[in-house]
Amino acid sequence: METAFEPGLPVEIGRIEKELGKLWESSGDTKTRASLINLVVYTEDPGSTSADTALISAIAGKHACRAILIIANPRAKESVAKAWINAHCHMAGKGRQICSEQITFRLDGDSAAALPNIVFSHLDSDLPLCLWWKHDFPEPLDEKLWGWVDRVIYDSASWKNPAHQFALVRHISSREGNGIVLCDLNWTRLFPWRYALAGMFDHSAALPCLPEIGKLSIAAPPSGRTAALLIAGWFANRLNWQLASDGRSFTSAQGRRIAFEIESGAGAGILESVRLECGKASFELKLTEDAEFFESTMRIPGIPEAHQLSPAPQGRLEETLLRELSRAGRHALYTKSLDTVLQLVAR
Amino acid sequence: MPTQTQNPLREGLTARAMPDPCSLVIFGATGDLTHRKLVPALYNLAADGALPPAINVLGFARRDKTDEAFRQELEEASRKFSRQSINDELWASFGANIGYHRSEFDNAAGYASLAKRLDELDATRGTRGNRLFYLAAAPDQFEVILDNLRASGLSTPKEGTWSRVIVEKPFGTDLPSARKLNDLVQHAFDESQTYRIDHYLGKETAQNIMVLRFANALFEAMWNARYIDHIQITASEPLGVEGRAGYYDKSGALRDMVQNHLLQLLCLTAMEPPAGLDADSIRDEKVKVLRSLRPLAGDDVFKHVVRAQYGAGAIDGKRVAAYRDELNVNPESETETYVALEVNVDNWRWAGVPFFVRVGKRLPKGGTEIAVHFKSVPPVLFRATGETIDDNVLVIRIQPDEGISLRMSAKMPGASLRIEPVKMDFHYGTSFGKATPEAYERLLLDAMSGDPTLFARRDEVEEAWKFVDSIHAAWKTRNDDLAFYSSGTWGPSQADDLIKRHGATWRRL
Repeated sequence: METAFEPGLPVEIGRIEKELGKLWESSGDTKTRASLINLVVYTEDPGSTSADTALISAIAGKHACRAILIIANPRAKESVAKAWINAHCHMAGKGRQICSEQITFRLDGDSAAALPNIVFSHLDSDLPLCLWWKHDFPEPLDEKLWGWVDRVIYDSASWKNPAHQFALVRHISSREGNGIVLCDLNWTRLFPWRYALAGMFDHSAALPCLPEIGKLSIAAPPSGRTAALLIAGWFANRLNWQLASDGRSFTSAQGRRIAFEIESGAGAGILESVRLECGKASFELKLTEDAEFFESTMRIPGIPEAHQLSPAPQGRLEETLLRELSRAGRHALYTKSLDTVLQLVAR
Repeated sequence: MPTQTQNPLREGLTARAMPDPCSLVIFGATGDLTHRKLVPALYNLAADGALPPAINVLGFARRDKTDEAFRQELEEASRKFSRQSINDELWASFGANIGYHRSEFDNAAGYASLAKRLDELDATRGTRGNRLFYLAAAPDQFEVILDNLRASGLSTPKEGTWSRVIVEKPFGTDLPSARKLNDLVQHAFDESQTYRIDHYLGKETAQNIMVLRFANALFEAMWNARYIDHIQITASEPLGVEGRAGYYDKSGALRDMVQNHLLQLLCLTAMEPPAGLDADSIRDEKVKVLRSLRPLAGDDVFKHVVRAQYGAGAIDGKRVAAYRDELNVNPESETETYVALEVNVDNWRWAGVPFFVRVGKRLPKGGTEIAVHFKSVPPVLFRATGETIDDNVLVIRIQPDEGISLRMSAKMPGASLRIEPVKMDFHYGTSFGKATPEAYERLLLDAMSGDPTLFARRDEVEEAWKFVDSIHAAWKTRNDDLAFYSSGTWGPSQADDLIKRHGATWRRL
């Protein structure tokens, strides 16, 4: 494979740390190297190097890191291992610049098997390791590599076989002594949806409607199908619903049937709307036509109908990644929702 | 089926529950605070999706104005002062919640019509009878506003609703006036309904003091008289009195800054670990610190406190006038624009560790910080080298450039042993990247949600006044101790002498 884009200064792999040291020595006192995490990006798409580098630069501006970009082609006949170094600097006032390092590797053929070694030998010590896996998960997983990872970032929206990939994710999360945090960007993109939906039921008149939900309708474009399943899994987990044997409805702990449907939309976002019907009350959260805002509508008998407009995030990859990197802790609800999602995805 | 009291969908979303729908009534709504801070803060909350689905913002003031004119004024101000840029569509949605209620503060009919209007808004907009009153008017209007709120029944919540009041500083001008104000407030609202705002407590770095101390074993283990030599708390600003001369000339630096902001920072630095993170556990510990402050009275005041006033000088290369030559300042004013204090906290943890507190106007640089100076290492190992070893200093920068730095000693590369201080620096902006919310955003949301943790309790305010009043009482007995310093310098030499007696010097900001 040929990478037209050169992601920095070519260096011998054995001299990377020395060359990085030289880079900083030559920059004088105006540049400060900063790093809060090791961000390893694994891709098998050589055409995305330029976009990945631009994305790393944007992330480094808000979230200082040591970035290691690995472009692998395990199917290549010839074995090639090459490296480049690069720095992303951002003004931090008073003429000072804050810089993050990027090391890029191209690993073709047999060299791709050296992935764990490449990662281990170039980490910034004592800092957490975030691995952004931009490809389907391999089988079997390399336990040595995965045992080192603190957070694994992936995007279930890009999977062609979600049932199989979700099963692998379930396996990763259930490994013994597992400390790895699962970060599905598809779930992260849903945060504003979940936040806005939860906000509706903070209203003291709305809260009693939750156990009365009789129907959940989600409108999503085809690319948002897994997102719709994740939202359904979230509701099921939080409200203690079980998937009914027909696979098209849930049953509440009190035995109430909750109808569930995903309507196909043609919009641009991951979801278009989520609507809950609770007897005479209804709650709807939808994107406005220009997808700039959320519009929420609450209809509860006895109180005035409430409409609220709030900005909807644009769901850009950079924005989603930054949101993910800015939060700490586990996505416990994601892990808990996985069982239901696995059942739904297998329907 | 049991009634659900907690929202199960809220779990794991990290953000707090959204407050219940409510009406916010701002008294003194045509003033600077409303335009520069309160409404921009509310807009930012709306932009973050943090406001409840129904909210009314009602300005209450004397000037004649329509709802529309008031909205337009606030929109212009928000475009200027908001942390986030104003989105037209969002402003239209948020601005529709804003109204104006014209009335004199002492006109009972104005409160009756306010109550009626709020009831109508509850019915049409679903705000459900919850009320938050913000006293942003001049302090001399508080009494009449509070009396009328009580008389009109607005301070008494109806069943199933809440009614709260936010009181802006100053909380009085001395202990008797603070007690009087507190009594007045409590005549209308009980303590659980009262939110005394000190915006320093809403700053992220002030909140981070507790995390730094109690979430890091490294620091808490050393946070005592065994390892700490002294602590410096500084709040400096290059500004003069600007438009506040009328208030400031009566108040001075001690009452304006030390009684509230700086003593709050001292409390957070010195307090014991609270039993929990609830409001009263934290505030109980802060009050214990205030009660442990060694009182400064009589001659002790002149040994441990330096007061000073700025003279003419230069700031940013421009000539500036002396305090006494400022507009609306008494030309013979004895008001202090600078104060430095040596404060002792008489408890086991802090025995023998002085807290040096200084605050001043027309200083070379603006900044607020807490600097923890650790004790020196025994001069044994490196004595022969003749090297001076600087003490470790942990600095918590409250503003600007919020962050934490640690100074330590390191060997300079080379064959000979040379020791130099180096600094480990953590900048919020660099590490976390995102803009931190304004203090008022956090505090308004807390008050709407009924969380008083970051607000001052009555006993805190009164204990702080007790400490400050005895200093003022001593100052009244003499008028020869007021020092002077040139604008653009770091204060009078007497302040340097104060800290020098402890073998230390003020930190260079």
